[in-house]
Amino acid sequence: MGDKSGDLVQGTLDMLILKTLALEPMHGYGIAVRLEQMSKGVFRLNAGSLFVAFQRLQRDGLIKSEWKATENSRRAKYYALTEQGRKRLNSETREWGRQVAAIARILEAS
Amino acid sequence: MSLLRNMASGLRSLFRKERVNKELDEELNGFLEMAAEEKMKEGMSRKEALRTVRLERGNLEGTKEVVRSAGWESFVEGLWQDLRYGVRTLRKNPAFTAIIILTLALGIGANTAIFSVVYTVLLKALPYPQADRLVMVYENVHLPNYQNKHNTPSPGNFSDWMAQNTVFESMAAYTNRSFNVTGTGEPLRVEGERVSGEFFGSLQVNATLGRVFTAEEDRPSTSHVVVISDSLWRSRFASDLRVLGQKVFLDDQGYEVIGVMPPRFHFPDPDDQLWVPLALTPDELINRGSHYLDVFARLKLGVTLAQAQTEMNLIARRLTQLYPQSNTGQTVDVVPLQEDIAGPVRPALLVLVGAVTLVLVIVCANVANLLLARASVRYREIAVRLALGAGHARVARQLLTESVLLALLGCAVGVPLARWSLGALKFLAASNLPRTEEFGLSAPVLLFSMAISLTAGLVFGVSPALHAVRGNIQDTLKSSSRERAASSRLRTSSLLVVLETALGFVVVIGAGLLVRSFLRIEQVQLGFQPGGVLSFRVIPRGERYSQGAQRVVFYQQAIERLQALPGVQSAAAVTFIPLTLAKGRKGFTIEGRAPTGPGQIPIASYDIVTPTYFQTMQVPLLEGRDFSWSDSPQTQPVVIVNEAMAKRYWAGEDPLGKRFHQAGPDDKFPWMTIIGVVSDVREFSLTVAPEPTMYFPIAQFTYADAILRDWVVRTNGDPARVASSVRSVIRQVDKNLPVTRIRTMEEVRSLSLASQRMNLLLFGLFAALALALATIGIYGVLAYNVAQRTREIGIRLALGADGNAVLRLVLRQGMRLAGLGVLLGFIGALALTRLMSGMIYGVSSTDPATFFGVATLLGFIAAAACYIPARRAMRVDAIVALRYE
Repeated sequence: MGDKSGDLVQGTLDMLILKTLALEPMHGYGIAVRLEQMSKGVFRLNAGSLFVAFQRLQRDGLIKSEWKATENSRRAKYYALTEQGRKRLNSETREWGRQVAAIARILEAS
Repeated sequence: MSLLRNMASGLRSLFRKERVNKELDEELNGFLEMAAEEKMKEGMSRKEALRTVRLERGNLEGTKEVVRSAGWESFVEGLWQDLRYGVRTLRKNPAFTAIIILTLALGIGANTAIFSVVYTVLLKALPYPQADRLVMVYENVHLPNYQNKHNTPSPGNFSDWMAQNTVFESMAAYTNRSFNVTGTGEPLRVEGERVSGEFFGSLQVNATLGRVFTAEEDRPSTSHVVVISDSLWRSRFASDLRVLGQKVFLDDQGYEVIGVMPPRFHFPDPDDQLWVPLALTPDELINRGSHYLDVFARLKLGVTLAQAQTEMNLIARRLTQLYPQSNTGQTVDVVPLQEDIAGPVRPALLVLVGAVTLVLVIVCANVANLLLARASVRYREIAVRLALGAGHARVARQLLTESVLLALLGCAVGVPLARWSLGALKFLAASNLPRTEEFGLSAPVLLFSMAISLTAGLVFGVSPALHAVRGNIQDTLKSSSRERAASSRLRTSSLLVVLETALGFVVVIGAGLLVRSFLRIEQVQLGFQPGGVLSFRVIPRGERYSQGAQRVVFYQQAIERLQALPGVQSAAAVTFIPLTLAKGRKGFTIEGRAPTGPGQIPIASYDIVTPTYFQTMQVPLLEGRDFSWSDSPQTQPVVIVNEAMAKRYWAGEDPLGKRFHQAGPDDKFPWMTIIGVVSDVREFSLTVAPEPTMYFPIAQFTYADAILRDWVVRTNGDPARVASSVRSVIRQVDKNLPVTRIRTMEEVRSLSLASQRMNLLLFGLFAALALALATIGIYGVLAYNVAQRTREIGIRLALGADGNAVLRLVLRQGMRLAGLGVLLGFIGALALTRLMSGMIYGVSSTDPATFFGVATLLGFIAAAACYIPARRAMRVDAIVALRYE
């Protein structure tokens, strides 16, 4: 099946969704497509993991949602970053960078 | 913030479920449609596109379920479903449900009631501000002839301790004193305290009306002041706000009322109605010979108990060097007030907690057994649910929810039960437990009750739940494996029954030991005959009785009139009647013996009596003669001793004619000649062995503190019938002296056993409950077992086994369980009853008679419980049995 989110490092899905939304508000399918494009098809997510993540992020106040019309004049729920979400994205990105660098150093050392 | 948002969103899902679901539907549908459109652009048909999307992204319904169950609200929703389902199941089986709830209510109710007592007495802070800083300060006396860790201090020690210590914020003394209140209305005797200047300050409690004493007022003076209790204010002064400044007459002296204490304030005794200044004279402040004060203090902020103890020991050592004659062998013991009040009853209370906890465990085991039995009936239902895709955890949760629901229902019935039992306990414990007026179902008690109910629900729910979901679905639906499951359930049940029997055995042993001990106490030789004797209290105090001789005249007159009453054989007065936990002691010096060093002086208990006291109480006079009214200050001073004193100090000699005097060799007291020896009397209590005791005649013992309080009258018939004539005789002699505490000596004796009776009664109840539950448990398991084995028994019968063999088979099986339980209980009881040694008298905590007696009793009860199912097995019809299933 198409779900490759199991390969994601635990907790990184939230960060990736936040990153996707940093540019502009998007609906669920848009986010899925964007994640696939940006990862060059590595992350293909099923709807379940994606929507559970939306619900979680929304409850944590990191994103907010609003029903809007799409370019194809269909009704869809658009998600957008909140101020809190933006801060969290920044801090997580920094932390991620630090960890990746540290892990890389360890792997290179051996 | 985020928690709030989470809650709000969850609640929205719960309460606006329709709308939230619709939104989710629409959003997911949109998602799939958009994905499908993309595929259709690549040239797929719509149907094909939708299929591919479902394969890639998961199907719609499944996704909805995943998203919905991700939030906490889905858990709540499941719980709600389980609860509703549980209620339905329980209502379908009303008898079963009622039995379980009732059993649980008994266990939970008993635990709640006992915990309420324990909480009030042992855990709850005393009702004074920062009560944890309040301590009692005692003399700790260790002398060859006298040991007492908590001796009441002498006024001399009190004033030195107060002046020298740096660890206490304040220190105060008090001594109990009852007063005859006269003036308006009937003469009344009320209990009160004489208290030193810092008494109320140390407690940090002020008057609600008026004020408490100033330091000035704690000095000898001619003007007297009194602070009264709220209840005295209400009863005697009709809650009159103008009470301040009014005069009340206490023992014929006018006291000005200066304050009224808050409602429910009491210290040290709940009966206290008034407080007057102690006002020690300068002479009294250096008195180190009489030890009659109670001293308490408030620790300075930040000072620990150990620091206070260390400093007080230093001071005590200094005082011993300064005053070797009076202070040798004396240190100080500082005890937290709470500990001082609760300490004596703690061991017994903890044992009661232990017993009642065991009862709760037995209740849980029994309920678990009942639920197991029902789980096997519900086997198919559960199997079908599992087959239809319910998760094991989900089914287990369902069953646990039902158990917890049962437990909470048990709690709901148990709490009113506890409330009712607490009323009974208050009554039972009034004379032997402190703080009974505070007993109640307070918030912590109710929390405790909820907590034990939840725990109990989980405990007894766990094994049925595990059983229900064990094994795989295929097997469960097949009948042969159902039998296998049944046998595993039987194993669990048997284990529970063994546990129940063992714990029940321990509780019954506890009750048995208390019964044995109670019977022993009943047989204790009192040394007097309580039957036919009426006792009451009249204390001649006041202007007309300030001189000893005046009091003697009163005693003689009153006794003569009492003895003239019809039906009265004799009457007498004494300092304290026996069995009332009151006892005075004095040091003495025997003529012709080597002088004793500091602290080596012999000490004996004493009572002051009128003539005919021994006759009235029927204390046998072993040698010599009784006192008579002709023993007077003008004649030779005389004394009577008890057998214990004669044996201890004049062993192998004739004590008659020997002489001794009060206090040390250097104190100038007159020699007293022994004129009689009486047999030993249980003076202090039934369980304290008689000590050497001396009896002084009131006519020759006219010191200021020599006052007889208690009176005894021996009658021909029922002593209670002379009560009213006794009252009128005293009124004739002095209408201002109230008569109180009118009780027969039998009642006094019975009252002195109140704590033993309470322990016995509670343990008896627990034991009865434990026994009944264990019996039901054994019966239940065997009955189930017989039902399960009907086919096997049928085959045995068909093959020629006779009914008796089958009977024996079943009996043997039941008795094996009971025997194993008794054996384990025996071992457990041997280890546990040691904790009861303080509660029993005259019986060893491993008393073989009790242990084997209880084992036999339990054996018989178990046999009876086995007999009914065994009979049923015997009557199995072979043909019917083989068709079974």
